[in-house]
Amino acid sequence: MKTTTKGVHSRRRLRYAVPAGIVSASLFLAACGGGDTGDGSTGEGGDKASGGAPAADVLDKASGVTTVAFWHAMDGTNAEALTKLVTDFNAQNTGKIEVKATYAGKYDDAITKYKAAIQSKSTPDVIQIYDIGTRFMIDAKQTIPMQSFIERDKLDVTDLQPNITGYYSIDDKLNSMPFNTSMPVLYYNKSLFKAAGLDPEKPPQDLAAIRTAAEKLSKKGGGPADYGFGAAIYGWLLEQFIATDGKEYCDQGNGRDGKATKVLFDQPEAVEVVKWWQQMVKDGYAANTGRDTKAAQAAFKSGQLAITLESTGQLGGYSKAAKEGGWELGAANYPHIKAGTEGGPIIGGASLWINGENHEDANKEAAWRFVKFLADPKSQAQWHIGTGYFPISKGALEEPADVTYRKANPLFDVAVQQLENTKLSKATQGCLLGVMPQARKASEDGLEAALNGTDPQQAMTKAAESLSAQIKQYNDSVG
Amino acid sequence: MDEVTDVTTTSGEKVLPEHGSGEDPGERSGTPSPTPAGREARREPFVAVLYLLPALVVFGVFIFWPLVKSILLSVQGTDILGNPSGFVGLVNYTRLFSDPDFLQVLWVTFAFTILTVIPSIAIALLIALLLQSRIKGVRFFRTAFALPFAFSVATASVIFGVLFNPASGVLNGILNTFGIDKVQWLTNPDLALWSVSGATVWMQIGYNLLVLSAGLGALPEDVLEAARLDGASGLRLQRSIVMPLLTPQLFFLVVVGTIHSLQSFGQIKILTVGGPEDRTTTLVYSIYEQAFANNNSNYGYASAQAMVLLVIVLIITALQFGVLERRVFYR
Amino acid sequence: MTSVTTKEPVATPGKAAPKKARPGRRPSNIGTYLILGVLFLIVLFPVYYGLVGSLMGERDTNSFPPALYPENGVHPENYSKALDIIPLGDQYLTSVLQTLGITLGQMITSALAAYAFVFLNLRWRGFWFAVFLSTMMIPFESIIIPNYLLISQWGLKDTIAGLTLPFLATGFGTFLLRQSFLSFPMELRDAARVDGAGHVRFLFSILLPLSRPSLAALGIWSALSAWNMYFWPLLATEAPENQTIQIGISQLQSSDSDSPGMVLAGVMLALFPTLLLVIFGQRFIVRGLTTGAVK
Repeated sequence: MKTTTKGVHSRRRLRYAVPAGIVSASLFLAACGGGDTGDGSTGEGGDKASGGAPAADVLDKASGVTTVAFWHAMDGTNAEALTKLVTDFNAQNTGKIEVKATYAGKYDDAITKYKAAIQSKSTPDVIQIYDIGTRFMIDAKQTIPMQSFIERDKLDVTDLQPNITGYYSIDDKLNSMPFNTSMPVLYYNKSLFKAAGLDPEKPPQDLAAIRTAAEKLSKKGGGPADYGFGAAIYGWLLEQFIATDGKEYCDQGNGRDGKATKVLFDQPEAVEVVKWWQQMVKDGYAANTGRDTKAAQAAFKSGQLAITLESTGQLGGYSKAAKEGGWELGAANYPHIKAGTEGGPIIGGASLWINGENHEDANKEAAWRFVKFLADPKSQAQWHIGTGYFPISKGALEEPADVTYRKANPLFDVAVQQLENTKLSKATQGCLLGVMPQARKASEDGLEAALNGTDPQQAMTKAAESLSAQIKQYNDSVG
Repeated sequence: MDEVTDVTTTSGEKVLPEHGSGEDPGERSGTPSPTPAGREARREPFVAVLYLLPALVVFGVFIFWPLVKSILLSVQGTDILGNPSGFVGLVNYTRLFSDPDFLQVLWVTFAFTILTVIPSIAIALLIALLLQSRIKGVRFFRTAFALPFAFSVATASVIFGVLFNPASGVLNGILNTFGIDKVQWLTNPDLALWSVSGATVWMQIGYNLLVLSAGLGALPEDVLEAARLDGASGLRLQRSIVMPLLTPQLFFLVVVGTIHSLQSFGQIKILTVGGPEDRTTTLVYSIYEQAFANNNSNYGYASAQAMVLLVIVLIITALQFGVLERRVFYR
Repeated sequence: MTSVTTKEPVATPGKAAPKKARPGRRPSNIGTYLILGVLFLIVLFPVYYGLVGSLMGERDTNSFPPALYPENGVHPENYSKALDIIPLGDQYLTSVLQTLGITLGQMITSALAAYAFVFLNLRWRGFWFAVFLSTMMIPFESIIIPNYLLISQWGLKDTIAGLTLPFLATGFGTFLLRQSFLSFPMELRDAARVDGAGHVRFLFSILLPLSRPSLAALGIWSALSAWNMYFWPLLATEAPENQTIQIGISQLQSSDSDSPGMVLAGVMLALFPTLLLVIFGQRFIVRGLTTGAVK
């Protein structure tokens, strides 16, 4: 009898055990599901003004601490500098505003995460999005344009660099606050220039001049470097050449008069660059290091390349490599296709967006104060020194700490000069395109094919055409 | 039930008679259960399903429902946030097969499969046969050659990334000592697929070697001994006697290897990100690119590609079950 | 095929070698050694370079031609540098939890299901069998998008639950255990029932302990594949501290540093657990080899 009971017993226990397991599993799921939204915004509703700024006094009326969720894409030393700024802001606003900064992954990951957050109505109050995500952010219709805050506060924005805010503006209305900003420059190895008998104070400033210098610098021409020139197959660089020539990258006034319907990187000027680059590689004066920017950087740092094109963000790394390698680094304006053309480089980097949809007025206002804080001269000087990014504030360059920094890093003034000398136009504002990340990749496809032997015109035309379906799909879906 | 029997053999088991062809009420024992009969017997089918339930729930939520969802996604458009934007019929599929880039993807996938499956089996077979020789140090070699098996796709790919580095990689360093110029292993469009395949072959060797060694170890020793006494030796022994006996393992590896290669992703992501000129963009990588890279969320278009992958894998599996199994696996 | 899994330790002729060796009968020994040696060098070189490179400084690795051994001193600090750049400690923990979760989950769900297939009066057995079988034919990559959307919607990105849930059951494991259960002696089973052992007690205190080798095989296979997973963790996690070690090391490679030694140090850390499993668990691995037919 005893044994039988036992048997029945354990069977019964099992019968309940299994469903109980499922129940607890689903509870677990629910618990986890709830957890993530917690760090998002503070609830729904109150989005009547999602299209514009809330009243200026909402924060004074709000009780307790308003928490601002901030997603960013900075890691390493950049993240450290950012954390310090956030801590400073929180200290200044104790008891009123607390910013919670969260790393949302690299740029691509952050925007992917943001898309998911839109669907689950849990967007952060402030998010940092890369330059080429700008059109997408506008079309996602979640954010409050900076302009409406600026107009409400009648804020004087003359301190902001117009050539930087230009990228994020349509019809002179600022959509997002530029934050980390970089620019392309030409880097060169002065020691190699000397060894090749070139004047190290006269860096080449157009394609033909680079070619001439590279011929003397390359091993092929009896020079001291493996290759005179070399840069990553990076679409951004091609965008820069088009802009320095004063040309537009996509139609509809670089996507600023209306939604762009096609890219123009198969126009003659762009093809000229590709043809030049292809010939340089073919003749052995330029290295083809592929798309990985790190490969070109490594080659330049180790002295295998004499001239390269990169962002100001690399200045620190290159200076360090030059010091360790015992050679002298030079920097110059980004080259033009032909000498004497009117145009300049486009800024790159990322900007800050304030989300309005499904956010409380107090949060919007607190977010705006945080953004304003990050844009002021002091913060920007601190940010510039800590990261090497270009300050968006003119005043930042006057801050004593910044002056000292630039004295120690004189090459940075090249970038300052370059930015100030650039005349803002649709060309130098850069192209706004919903599928800009894909466009950049397509242009790299074209450039890469050309460097590997395909006819430049053919390669770039094919690449441009490959985008038409995606652009159409994008434009159709945003109406 | 045909497939069922087949699979039991794939699983390498003796084909034991299984009572459960659906309606068979008996338990495995076959003997009537001695414990309280009536009620329990009636309840047991219900209890039995409860035992399956945990697995079935996981399968349902993470395999079968996603499968339905994939099919549904593949006939819809996608808006910029990744939401389905309505039924579009077979548009994604027609776009797929009229897109020259996708035809290249299929070709790359095919080439990658050939370039990985055949060499990895051939090399593993050579090693396995050599390890059968009665020489000193076999145990050492055996353990050493199994080491690549411990490497994940990520660990192996990162190491190969370092080796392939054109500027300061060891491979070019070695070539340099022979006076050969630097090779652009991963950025030369004619070479990249070969390089990635080479790394993949290396990753596969460990597994293939284990399967083949197990197969060789299980060969009847008397057959081998008899062959040796007959004077068959070396290669002749191996070609005429060992190889035919190994065909089950070889076919098994071809099928498993093919499916595995079709699913490869990590090495491409880490080594070439699909380039140069998309010459290493395989089907799975293309799905990733369309769905997740470059701020893409073309879930509809990517799902159509995912369905193509599914169909290819199903065809190969069917081949295994339908044709090869029956012909080769029984002996 | 049969004997592959029924014979436990793989019987290798090599084992019996000393006894049966007939000196002089193998003039091709030198040739065998030569070919084996060359293959050994080629196959093991990446292993060697991974290990030795992880201790080399930039002066060795970044010059051309690069050094093949640490010519300019050993640099164990590569390991601490790797730990600095990625939150390796957190990632290790994530990987361990993910691996444990998947392994235990698969063992439990597989044991229960296999038990039902073998010992219980399961209605529509053929149908269920086909269901389990079909899960092995569907490549996860073909359904990864809906899974990604599902996990995102449930807010499970960056959680252990998100990393493990989709893999808590496996057709492979079920068939592996089923096969072992099928060879369970009937007399023992009947005796247990006479003793009044119910299903649960029989399964957990008699059947599973006696099926340890198969259970170990399943465990090792589950652990290996969970630890080495790449595609899914890449999608299911974002914050570096929530990523698995596999994703971590691939991002070491794309980090700003150009110290291959440091990257290789990260690789070695990620490799360590599986290396141990492969060296010490080989006989169990062989047991599971061919059941993995489809996946």
